[in-house]
Amino acid sequence: MTAALIVGILAAAGTYLVLQRGIVRITLGFVLLGHAATTALLAAGGVARRDLAFVGAPGTPGDPLPQAFALTAIVISFGVTAFLLALAYRSRDTLGHDDVEAPDLEGSLLDQSASALELRIPTADEDAEPVDDAPGNREDGR
Amino acid sequence: MLLVSVAAVFVLAALTPLLVRGLGRDAGYVGAAVLAGIAVWLGASTPTVLGGEAVTAEVRWIPQVDISFTLRMDGIGLLFALIVLGIGAVVLAYAARYFGRDQRRKASRYLALLTFFAGAMLGLVLADDVVLLFVFWELTSISSFFLIGGLGEGKAGATRALLITSIGGLALFAGAILLGVEGGTTSLSALAADPSAIVASPLAPVIVVLLLLAVATKSAQLPFHFWLPGAMVAPTPVSTYLHAATMVKAGIYLLFRTTGILSEVPMWTPTLVVLGGATAVYAAFVATTQDDLKGLLAFSTVSQLGMIVLILGVGTPLAIAVAGLYTLSHALYKATLFMTVGIIDSATGTRSLAALGGLRRHLPLVALAGGLAAISMAGLLPLVGFVAKEEAFAALLHAETAWVGPVGTALAVLASFGTFAYSARYYLGTFEGPVRTPAHRAPAGFVLPAVLTGVAGLALGLVVPVLDPLVNGLARDATGTDPELHLALWHGLTLPLGLSILVVLVGSALYLQRDRVTGLLTRRPLPRGADVFDRAYDGLLALGSRVGRTSTSDATVTYLLPVLLTAVAVVGAATATIDLSDLGAPAPSLAGDGVVIVLLLGAVIAAVVARGRLAAIAALGLTGFTVAVWFVLLGAPDLALTQILIETLTVALVVVVFRRLPGRFPNAGRRRRVLGIVTAALVGTGAATATYLATGRRELSDIGGSLLAEGQDLTGGANVVNTILVDFRALDTLGEVVVLAIAALGILALVRFVPRDAVPMPHRDDPTAAIEPDFSDARFGGAGMIGSQLLRTTTAMLAPAMVVASLWLLLRGHNAVGGGFIGGLVAGAAIVLRYFSHGHADIWHARTTRTVPTVGIGVLIAVGYGLGGLGLTGAFLAGGKIPLPFVDDVAASLVFDIGVYVVVVGLVASIIRHLGQSVGPHSLPGRDDDAGDLDTRETARTGSGGLS
Repeated sequence: MTAALIVGILAAAGTYLVLQRGIVRITLGFVLLGHAATTALLAAGGVARRDLAFVGAPGTPGDPLPQAFALTAIVISFGVTAFLLALAYRSRDTLGHDDVEAPDLEGSLLDQSASALELRIPTADEDAEPVDDAPGNREDGR
Repeated sequence: MLLVSVAAVFVLAALTPLLVRGLGRDAGYVGAAVLAGIAVWLGASTPTVLGGEAVTAEVRWIPQVDISFTLRMDGIGLLFALIVLGIGAVVLAYAARYFGRDQRRKASRYLALLTFFAGAMLGLVLADDVVLLFVFWELTSISSFFLIGGLGEGKAGATRALLITSIGGLALFAGAILLGVEGGTTSLSALAADPSAIVASPLAPVIVVLLLLAVATKSAQLPFHFWLPGAMVAPTPVSTYLHAATMVKAGIYLLFRTTGILSEVPMWTPTLVVLGGATAVYAAFVATTQDDLKGLLAFSTVSQLGMIVLILGVGTPLAIAVAGLYTLSHALYKATLFMTVGIIDSATGTRSLAALGGLRRHLPLVALAGGLAAISMAGLLPLVGFVAKEEAFAALLHAETAWVGPVGTALAVLASFGTFAYSARYYLGTFEGPVRTPAHRAPAGFVLPAVLTGVAGLALGLVVPVLDPLVNGLARDATGTDPELHLALWHGLTLPLGLSILVVLVGSALYLQRDRVTGLLTRRPLPRGADVFDRAYDGLLALGSRVGRTSTSDATVTYLLPVLLTAVAVVGAATATIDLSDLGAPAPSLAGDGVVIVLLLGAVIAAVVARGRLAAIAALGLTGFTVAVWFVLLGAPDLALTQILIETLTVALVVVVFRRLPGRFPNAGRRRRVLGIVTAALVGTGAATATYLATGRRELSDIGGSLLAEGQDLTGGANVVNTILVDFRALDTLGEVVVLAIAALGILALVRFVPRDAVPMPHRDDPTAAIEPDFSDARFGGAGMIGSQLLRTTTAMLAPAMVVASLWLLLRGHNAVGGGFIGGLVAGAAIVLRYFSHGHADIWHARTTRTVPTVGIGVLIAVGYGLGGLGLTGAFLAGGKIPLPFVDDVAASLVFDIGVYVVVVGLVASIIRHLGQSVGPHSLPGRDDDAGDLDTRETARTGSGGLS
């Protein structure tokens, strides 16, 4: 039950965040979804056995196989997170903002490649409110 | 003999361009001579083949799945091979004069392609393996596409033909595989010898449907017939050869080939009779309304193919024999007719019946050939077409299935009315009556091939009994029974003769009333198949681009929502359908678990509602550490340690990147918030339900148990998780290492090499100038430095200690908590710490942090370890022990773990090097040494020495 609740909470929060507009929040959501996946993987091995999964360890050792999978998953999601952060960094540099749905899609990298292929891109969500933090405002000193 | 024949035709096709270069269009005569020679060569074995001994040739091809390159010529193969080669020779000779003396390029292209097609078609009718048959089948479709498409004109028709026949090709492939699976062999002769397994199979109707789809598309049966008239844009030699005499007969051939296997399946006869009969009647009447001679002949071909399908549907040995005769006679007269149309077209400049007439006076030889062919097509004495039609009526009347006799005969007679009428229209409208368009003289070489096939129809009709052994042998090879058919021009006053007389009478009436009939038939135009097809095709493409467009959006909502909701639906469906009563008790929760949940809830809510970046970062870190606590509770110390390190690094990296981003997040709007909450609730509930129902209820898995019990004996390591990573599932880990390496290189590429506004590399000779002192962001001290002397001093001691600790973790990993991942992350943490205290330049100038060398060396160590295992023990990534003097042996997998360690360090370093550089868009002295990071030459090392 505990594992199910943990997975549910993480998945719900991660889902909410990846559906937002800023690439930073999307990245945060991705990290949370990664946690959810890792926890679910680990739960697959059973949560009743909770002692160290070492040879010769006393008690009831946990199943080591899901642990190895989960370890791999954690490191992989770290690699992907790092790459997402690089994307956020670039979009800030190139576009001046990190809003994946900003109205001026002209400048987005995806749009550039898409227009090279003559694909049409649907316009941004129409009910979106204007970005309340235009570049140059607030804490960002530049 | 068979292999040489097929190969010879393909070689001829390859040599044709050279022949054309030397001989011009006369190269067609060389090709004709070669095809005729092969026909004679193969024909020489007629007595053996018809005596019941098939000629075979076999080459091993794909023995693993029991598919062989087997060619086999029995009676069926012989008839079709002779048609392919004989008509092929005539058409090549005709093509030699069809193309102008100055049309070398065109002649070269078409002669080569026609010859290539002949090779493919010959292979098709001789293939004994059904998979091989499929290969040749597709080759004919492809050559047809290029022959119709020509040099640019007729692309639409060519595309339609290709798509339609490709659909059939795929169906044939599926059918072929099912035949092989259900029948136990892909050999057609073996399947025909013992069809019981196929007939008894529950998949038999599926096989029949798939094969009939192939037949209907290739042989232009309803409702796929429209590609054939559309293919008439091709030059006449192509229409003659592919779209009248041979390629469209490939479907018919397939029916001959499979009738012995599948005719016992109950749906076989009704389907074929209805399909063929409807096509024959429909196309025959459409043909009578055509003005374009080629269109008339195209619909006539569709109609005649329908007739053959109808006859084959009867399935008796007699019907099979008659279908063979019908196929031969159709090939002869239809080839003749197409060739005459080509001559008329070039002599008068038109193919329109409205503009033609009286050509008998200008083109007497053409009129002779066309007249003979038209008589044969109409089914009049004394040509072979008459015998074929008479015998067809007879075979239908003698059908075994009760209703097939009257229904089939009625359909055939009905189609024959139309056939007689359009045959009359063709001949009388073109050659008789007043001259409407004057004609140039046609050179003898252009006309003779048509005369040859036209006269052959007459000659065969006069000596029709010589065909007895051929058609009987063919029927015996197809069905196993010799029908003992005796062909003759005159059988006395029989019912078929009466039907023939009826056909003549009604057909004549239809011809005389042709304008009224045409008006009646065209009053309400049916939807044109080509238009329907085009609309469906365009619709499919539009649907595809609409589906594809969802994934080209920048907004995550557009492409993630369908995926997330589908996942929820799958969980919901599974929960609703599985039996929940025998799940067993869920694992008990412990008291400490509640603490985790409370902590997690708080952290997650904070992460979601945070509108400022610092709060979000803090909440993210708290979430990760809470998850780490959960891992500790579950007895997974490696996992917990990894999680803590990853979380630390993630938070640090997010801080590094976030200071370049707006302090607050863009507002997505109220509707998006609601959508997000609803979706999040659904996904959260689904994930929790799935986890609750599907996990946590079982004992230790077998694999987990055996790894715990035997892992140390097999690998020498006591840390089972680590032995799984580097020994048991090392290949997975190798893949993961490569992913991390790609991420590291991807960051480098994204920051430094994306063309627009690439961030320039810091200049290597002048380290102080490399870093923009970005004091504007005072909280971080600019340039990634926290301006604290205390931190600098502490780090100077702490960072080396962390590196030592990381190496210690790496070395002990096999037996205790640690390993390459954990060690690498600790070392990475040291780099991050050093970055915060000493700044970007310090990291940038440390050679050990350079992305490409570090990551590359790490991957090379891991792969090298794998290859070493391959070389020493024959297994990639095999473990083992390295004997050392004085101390205990060391597990060889330590080498692999070192590779993992190096790659992880490289990834963290890559992030700091490329994302941690604080630059304004124009603040750096842009020098031309952007490739510095990729450069392995000596670089100036400055600063405080870095970590190396």
